[in-house]
Amino acid sequence: MDRRQFLQMLGLVSGAAALSSCGSEKGQKELVSLLVPAEDGIVPGTESWQPSTCCECPAHCGLLTRIRENRPVKLEGNPQHPVNRGGLCLRGQASLWRLYHPQRLQTPLKRQADGRLQAITWAQALTEITEALQLSRQQGRKNTWLAGRTSGTLSTLIEEFCDSLDIERLAEFEPFSHAALRQSYGLLLDQADLPRYRVEQADLLITVGADLLETFISPVDYTAQASTLAADQKRHWMHLEPHYSLTGANADDRLVLTPGSEGTLLLWLLQSLTSQSRYRSRWPQALQDLLPSTNLAATANATGLKPQQLQELVSRLMQAKKPLLIVGGIATGHRNGQPVALLGALLQWLIALPWAGLDFSAAENYSRVGSLRDLKDLNQQLAEDRIGVLFVSRCNPVRHSPTELGLKAALAKATLRVGLADLADDTTDQMDLILPLAHGLETWGDTEPRRGVIGLLQPLATPRQQALSEGDLLLKLLKQATGKSPAADWEAYLQQTWQKRFSRAQLGQLMKDGYLIEPQPQPSIRLNQARAAKALRNLQLQAPLAQPTAVIAPSIRSFDGRSRSLELLSEIPDPLTTISYGSWMAVSQQTADRLRLRDGNELQIKTADWQSSQPVRIQPGLATEILTLPMDSLPAPVTGIDPLTGEALRYVEGLQLKPTGKLHRLPILAGSPSQHGRGLIPKPVQRKKKGDQQHHGPRASFYPEPEYENYRWTMAIDLQRCVGCSACVASCYIENNVPVVGASDHLAGREMSWLRIEPFYDEHGQVDFLPMLCQHCSYAPCEAVCPVYAAYHNPEGLNVQVYNRCVGTRYCSNNCPYKVRRFNWWQHKRTAPLDQLRNPDVPVRSKGMMEKCTFCLQRIRIAKDRAKDDKRLVQDGEVTTACAQSCPTGAIVFGNLLDKESQIYRLTHSQRAYRVLAELGTEPSVHYLRPE
Amino acid sequence: MQNTSSTEQIEQDVLAAMSRPSRCYLACIFLAGLVFLGGMALWSRQIALGMGVAGISHPVGWGVYITDFVFWVGIAHSGTLISAVLYIFRARFRTSFNRAAEAMTIFALMVAGLFPLIHLGRVWLAYFLFPYPNQRQLWVNFRSPLVWDVFAVSTYMLVSLVFFFVGLVPDLAIVARRRPGFIGKIYRLASLGWVGNSQQWRHYTKLYFFLAAFATPLVASVHSIVSWDFAVSIVPGWHTTIFAPYFVAGAILSGTAMVITLVIPMRRLLRLETYIPISHIESIAKILLLTSLIVGFAYVVEQGLAFYSGNLYEMEQFRFRALGDYRLLFWIMVSCNAILPLTLFVGRLRRNLAYLFILSLLVNVGMWLERFVIVVTSLARDFDPYAWGNYTPSFTEIGITAGSFGLFFLLFLLFIKILPVLSITELKER
Amino acid sequence: MPKWLPHSLLYAYFGGFILLIAALAWFRPVTHQDNSQPIAFPHTVHAGQLGLACNFCHESVTQGPQAGMPTVDKCVSCHQAIATERPEIQKLLSYHEKGEPIRWRRIHQVPDFIYFTHKRHVRSGLDCSACHGAIEEMKEVRRVRSLQMGWCLSCHRSRGASFDCATCHK
Repeated sequence: MDRRQFLQMLGLVSGAAALSSCGSEKGQKELVSLLVPAEDGIVPGTESWQPSTCCECPAHCGLLTRIRENRPVKLEGNPQHPVNRGGLCLRGQASLWRLYHPQRLQTPLKRQADGRLQAITWAQALTEITEALQLSRQQGRKNTWLAGRTSGTLSTLIEEFCDSLDIERLAEFEPFSHAALRQSYGLLLDQADLPRYRVEQADLLITVGADLLETFISPVDYTAQASTLAADQKRHWMHLEPHYSLTGANADDRLVLTPGSEGTLLLWLLQSLTSQSRYRSRWPQALQDLLPSTNLAATANATGLKPQQLQELVSRLMQAKKPLLIVGGIATGHRNGQPVALLGALLQWLIALPWAGLDFSAAENYSRVGSLRDLKDLNQQLAEDRIGVLFVSRCNPVRHSPTELGLKAALAKATLRVGLADLADDTTDQMDLILPLAHGLETWGDTEPRRGVIGLLQPLATPRQQALSEGDLLLKLLKQATGKSPAADWEAYLQQTWQKRFSRAQLGQLMKDGYLIEPQPQPSIRLNQARAAKALRNLQLQAPLAQPTAVIAPSIRSFDGRSRSLELLSEIPDPLTTISYGSWMAVSQQTADRLRLRDGNELQIKTADWQSSQPVRIQPGLATEILTLPMDSLPAPVTGIDPLTGEALRYVEGLQLKPTGKLHRLPILAGSPSQHGRGLIPKPVQRKKKGDQQHHGPRASFYPEPEYENYRWTMAIDLQRCVGCSACVASCYIENNVPVVGASDHLAGREMSWLRIEPFYDEHGQVDFLPMLCQHCSYAPCEAVCPVYAAYHNPEGLNVQVYNRCVGTRYCSNNCPYKVRRFNWWQHKRTAPLDQLRNPDVPVRSKGMMEKCTFCLQRIRIAKDRAKDDKRLVQDGEVTTACAQSCPTGAIVFGNLLDKESQIYRLTHSQRAYRVLAELGTEPSVHYLRPE
Repeated sequence: MQNTSSTEQIEQDVLAAMSRPSRCYLACIFLAGLVFLGGMALWSRQIALGMGVAGISHPVGWGVYITDFVFWVGIAHSGTLISAVLYIFRARFRTSFNRAAEAMTIFALMVAGLFPLIHLGRVWLAYFLFPYPNQRQLWVNFRSPLVWDVFAVSTYMLVSLVFFFVGLVPDLAIVARRRPGFIGKIYRLASLGWVGNSQQWRHYTKLYFFLAAFATPLVASVHSIVSWDFAVSIVPGWHTTIFAPYFVAGAILSGTAMVITLVIPMRRLLRLETYIPISHIESIAKILLLTSLIVGFAYVVEQGLAFYSGNLYEMEQFRFRALGDYRLLFWIMVSCNAILPLTLFVGRLRRNLAYLFILSLLVNVGMWLERFVIVVTSLARDFDPYAWGNYTPSFTEIGITAGSFGLFFLLFLLFIKILPVLSITELKER
Repeated sequence: MPKWLPHSLLYAYFGGFILLIAALAWFRPVTHQDNSQPIAFPHTVHAGQLGLACNFCHESVTQGPQAGMPTVDKCVSCHQAIATERPEIQKLLSYHEKGEPIRWRRIHQVPDFIYFTHKRHVRSGLDCSACHGAIEEMKEVRRVRSLQMGWCLSCHRSRGASFDCATCHK
């Protein structure tokens, strides 16, 4: 059913928006007369924006989807949404790639005897499942349902489904289960939930292992808050970890911990704080004597920190008015994981709960999510032939279970294995029946990523072939199995549920804004002293891990690996190493020197029962005895299960390192990790000395100053706020139809990114990220040398590339000091249906043409058109570039410099503003604000 | 001095070169033609698939093709030097080579003119580069050195062709006289009715002198303009005022080397030893030595100025050239262009034809490498260290380069058979 | 002058002309516009005799980049009763019955890399015939302007519109 009818049934709107049939498109050789008038208010050839929710990771950020020619062509964060507030990470941008992915499952598939998959009809699939369900009941086997984190009405339907058919609904499976944290909160605070950490209110943030910027619970939210915190001179962020992560790279201070010693550190902190007057009164007497004794020297020894650093931690904690400690991520992924989580929870209770730093009323919805222990149970039951039909929906347990568990083999013992997915993965490879799921942009639905926030899903694209929404699938199955179902289809079920749950006004808001906030009551949090006492009594801190240790680190590009198959995310390089395609392992400079390794040399690391061989990448600033193994580099990223918490073990300790002598060609996109003293990112401004400001006087020049009439488009990038997450890069790729070229072109240096993140390391191993894009120089070196005027300067300050005029001499690229011009070495074609992922406002370039950032000229054009209708100029904030729009931290600001009230004017006149390679006299329109 | 009956001898000897082609000659033609066609096939493939078949990339957007372009234009200059400049200076020794050198100029320019087309990403729109009246109401960008190249090289080509042809006219009449039949008629037509009376001779001398004077400044200007393709940009290692004289000197150096490479075998195979005495070749070798000294001086100045300037980018660029990934090519270039030719101070070596031949080959290798080093190393290490990257020529580029040599030698071989390789009239005068 | 020369020249001269004509005939299909449409809709009747305004059918011409094609519903709203016996109308009605959209052959088209918006042009006071010619006199719509860059530019210059390249080149 279409949107108009749906809304009519809800009694909300009459004659409102509806999806129309195919429209005409520029470039087609024909014009089409539609049957009925097109969607209300949608003039052919113009855009419309519809709210939705991103489903690429469990954070479920709010989206605004741009629809052109009846297809979603761009995703943007919803500026009002409480989770992401307008930002959208690179995976969110790339979820559009998933929608048009050529390998998306299209029909139900059945595995034949020889292992190959055969397409079957839904009727056949459903019949087979129903029969298998019945058979296993007769055989006395259990039917089970295993899914990834599910929320909203779908969860209710699954509950009904499992009840009606007597299927056991297993604990949900998430590779990042945060099980240790939830266990601790449940034990000590009676809230087995993941609270929302109020980073925005803290004045001191200490994170231990928790990768806020990469994958920790709600990355876009925490990235925005943490970066604001770090940018504020009065607030401070310290990150402690054993390896080198993007989160650590952006914190104010990064302290290197010995792996496995987080517990010792937290214990010492707890000791130190409870002995101070500020916290002594809060700390219960009963627990006073239960803290195991520890001292500064022993802690320094165990953690690898210096005594001064430890003392600084304590003194900052004491001075802060609203200190916040966040523990998680890899910090709980080793044998000391449970003590780390418990001590972390105790510390949080002590220092953060007094000022409501943990918000359990907005807890992340992980209550049904289990841990690897549940998977182990399932494995046991499978091995004992107790499982009949096993449904596996939207999760990949085969990849994320330890090899020694033998899940693959155990799965074979279920009578029927049914996988529900949109793309093939390790788990669907083991399934007998694979049912294709529709994408979040193709179906109706709702999500509740955190308590009190409801997100809307609505169909904005036609489902791929025969893919169905999970809701429809379950209802059909119910109908088939029992002869009746609670609703005719998923839309009807949703309506029923919504009409019961929400008022008319609320529903209207949900439809219009794409989200709804239902403030939840604040639970009162009390420390369960009895359990705390027991925990402290039984506290056993084991020794730190034996070094050399490999840290199996999550990736900002693929989350837990689920986004790996989106080629766009392999095209965009990892921010720290600038490696795009392929696998690698990061080693320290000292290790590389000792073993005489260069980038690309293969190194084998092994223990008694585990080994991995990867090409090496030298990571400046990485501790000597640590290696970082990105999760995606391993076929089996989970090396074991912590029996106490059920968390995945994310370390391999006591390694033997042996170079194998092989050389791999790694697609490392950075020519050099160092600035070589060129001042591309100059030293921070000394705020105290006023005279330090280097004001260049007006440049003497032959040429007349360019005159700008109404607009002078300018951009400012705040390097303090840029965290290198590359969301801007993904946004640019999709907005501008930038070709995704693949590994072999990357090896030749032919990546096509118009905007790139350049990481520059200093001699201490600290990194700063420089987003580099066309600077739209007022005196552009490229414009003077193009023989055919394909590159020229327009009266609004843009350096415009006229694609059709370009003959491809490449002189412009040679003359560009920033090297931001990209040449089309080949004719790039996207395999269908990815060729539909195309912004029709931007031409697709052919081979032999030069392309580069245009400051999203197409968006400027749309804004000016709109403004002209109202007979006015474009206002500040009305138009922004794709990169600026997507940035979770708001590091990029775009606007009209002639508008003296605008944000861009203020930023470019800030004390921190400078321009890259200004001494060349190019007069760029992109100003950078130096990091502090 | 020869006696009068030897004018007949001169004609006979020179025209003997144009007799029936030997089997060896046909084999050479075949080989050269094959290599040329191979290059053309590779170029067609490049047009069909895109520039990706070449090894160029970001940041090195110019590679072997531009190197070839500058190389061939450079070679052309020395031909004009010998025929025009030396004519004005009344250097006697020029008569031995001036025809061959002029021909070399024409052919080198023909080959060079292909490369701006070969390196274009969208060669089917190459007409955009020409300022012709069009409905788009667009002119070309006259500020761009590439457009200056268009004018410079085409002017040079035109003037060289006219100069060449004018010089040929009396010789064509001689050939026509000696060749019967249809072929002779073509030569007669080409000689424009030359009978050799005193009036014609007067006009001829005036015109020839005028054209020589016209072509002389082109020797300096054309390669200066080609050098400004680099010097006018901001790339460190390119942006320097020394380029114009440096390139012109380099052009003469590689041109004289190519003349020596062509003339020494030609002299032997066509049995023209009496007409091309060793002393004349020695004079060319002296020009080679002179220009090699200039080029060597330029190397020292470049390196010295880079460090004297204190400019971070220049210093790093020249450090990279001498000690970086392309250092082997750099040092071969310096040895072949600046150090080895110093041996020509020794008179015995100057007069040793075998030694001169080998040296000329090495100088040409060195000069090709010089352009390669300048183009590639500057682009490989410029301002933003993130963008640094190296370049390796691909099979297509090497194949097309070989094809260009094939074309050049094919044309020269054809020239030997079709036109008199020495200026008969000037020899007679002598 | 050898005897064969005048003969061969004559042959060459006339032969050349014959070759030229052959080449033109060969390339004619490429250059000649095919104006046939699925239904022989006559603007002469609708725009001419009936005097319907252009934007009666092409509604979005003042609202967006594309002029817009009338929906099948719109045509049928009159023709369910008018001239229903004519074969072309019957074609129209069968589209409506089958629920099939009509795929017209596009006559006026600018390349994909050009941004052209009807809205701005029409709102600036340009009459449709300035670019499309006297449509009301065309039985079959044909392109009567070159739509080439220079043609667009000369009108832009004379009317004071922007001729900055970025105005039209996307």
